Amino acid sequence: MTKTIVVTSGKGGVGKTTTSASIATGLAKRGYKTVVIDFDVGLRNLDLVMGCERRVVYDLVNLVNQESSLHQTLIKDKRIENLYILPASQTRDKDALTIEGIARVMHKLKKSDFDYIICDSPAGIEKGAKMALYFADEAIVTTNPEVSSVRDSDRILGILQSESKRSKMNEEPVKEHLLITRYNPGRVKDGQMLSVDDIVDLLAIPLLGIIPESPTVLDCSNEGKPVILDDDSEAGQAYSDAIDRLLGEITKPHRFMEAPKKGFLSRLFG
Amino acid sequence: MSSKAGVELKGGMYTFMSLKLHTSDTDIINQQLADKVQQAPAFFKNTPVVVDFSALEALTDEQFDANELIECVRRHKLVPIVASLSNKSSPLGDSIAIPLIEGSVRSAATQKSTEKQSSQEQTEEQNEPSSAIEGSTISREVEFIVKAPLFINKPVRSGQQIYARETDLIIMGPVGPGAEVIADNNIHIYGPLRGRALCGVSGNASTRIFCTSLEAELVSVAGSFRMLETIPPELRGKPAQIWLEDGKLRIEPL
Repeated sequence: MTKTIVVTSGKGGVGKTTTSASIATGLAKRGYKTVVIDFDVGLRNLDLVMGCERRVVYDLVNLVNQESSLHQTLIKDKRIENLYILPASQTRDKDALTIEGIARVMHKLKKSDFDYIICDSPAGIEKGAKMALYFADEAIVTTNPEVSSVRDSDRILGILQSESKRSKMNEEPVKEHLLITRYNPGRVKDGQMLSVDDIVDLLAIPLLGIIPESPTVLDCSNEGKPVILDDDSEAGQAYSDAIDRLLGEITKPHRFMEAPKKGFLSRLFG
Repeated sequence: MSSKAGVELKGGMYTFMSLKLHTSDTDIINQQLADKVQQAPAFFKNTPVVVDFSALEALTDEQFDANELIECVRRHKLVPIVASLSNKSSPLGDSIAIPLIEGSVRSAATQKSTEKQSSQEQTEEQNEPSSAIEGSTISREVEFIVKAPLFINKPVRSGQQIYARETDLIIMGPVGPGAEVIADNNIHIYGPLRGRALCGVSGNASTRIFCTSLEAELVSVAGSFRMLETIPPELRGKPAQIWLEDGKLRIEPL
């Protein structure tokens, strides 16, 4: 059974693409055949984070318009077995996507025995975001610990309830997961950021993971390497924990919620 | 919200007394009506009634003057406002001089549902149970219309709007900031209210809002509203109820 998971947030810049890349890589690393789709048509980013930007020939829009085959369009990851990337088009816009076209692509992926389809949603609540979440079985709602991000997440949760295929077909609702990214326990303590408890209280959905704010995340993005592959970093370990919970180990305790005991200078310079 | 229109057209439901005629014999009607009215003259004086002719429709062969029966009702200081027939286009209907409606009190629920289909209204309403108490030949029938409340057992998210038409709204879960919950009747929220809640929106000033944690952006009862800034800080985050008293919005802890 193929599972389709959308990574969404409403707000931009909270870490959707970083999360999509790491979740897809993490699942593939555990042996699941996984594809990650960039739905951000016109603002192609996922290929950069996955480090395959030079290998993009065809893209999602070509596939939707039946101008290329699945085999031609999917980019096989060089590091991880079972991992494929379906890039977005950089020259087109979101109007190039249709539900029927996406449905055809999803059907082909399911017939190719993928275990997981990870949909990297664009920001906003417009057509692109709605297309990305339409076919979702589960949703990872990526949220930063600040009020505007939490409010936008609340909004996107409402859209998941009313505009996903599952809601329209009156099926079991989309399973929702909360992933808090860029969490900085020190700033939470100082009252500059919302705490995990505040966010869970506001959004009222189960917590999948807490990814600590870390310079490693940006370093990895620049390198074109999903941060989950950096086993030494806290962010990488936190994503690994999230994969465990996604695969059913829901009682796994959350880490990186306390401020590390560091000196004043080392805190300043990270 | 504050601009006052000179006229306003609204759909509404009112409860009227229904007078069902089981005979066309004016002497019997006169006698029994007189007995009834005598029991509570003040109650019956100038009371509007629906005259239910449905039991007399079968008697088409028997000659009787429907308008004379209506006149007879008027003599007892009752005000016949409308005649009720099970079929408006029956021959009896042509002779009646006051407005006609279809259906009797007992079939109020089915009549409502056909009306609903014709106006293509889509609300989450249930069939209203109606009960009629029938006594002697001339009986006072009282109609109780109880609508099931609109029940929501999941969080109401930012950007969502829930409207309970002509009924109560019950929410089990939080109402997020930027969400709007609206009801013609009361609103009960078993969770924090962080968005907007508006009760009595079609004018019912005796409705209330209840919530287990008041963090609302706005609360409104029958058009009178208050924003978060004007809600006393000591009430914020506390269980509270909001209602209208002498035209002023009151907020008290539960």
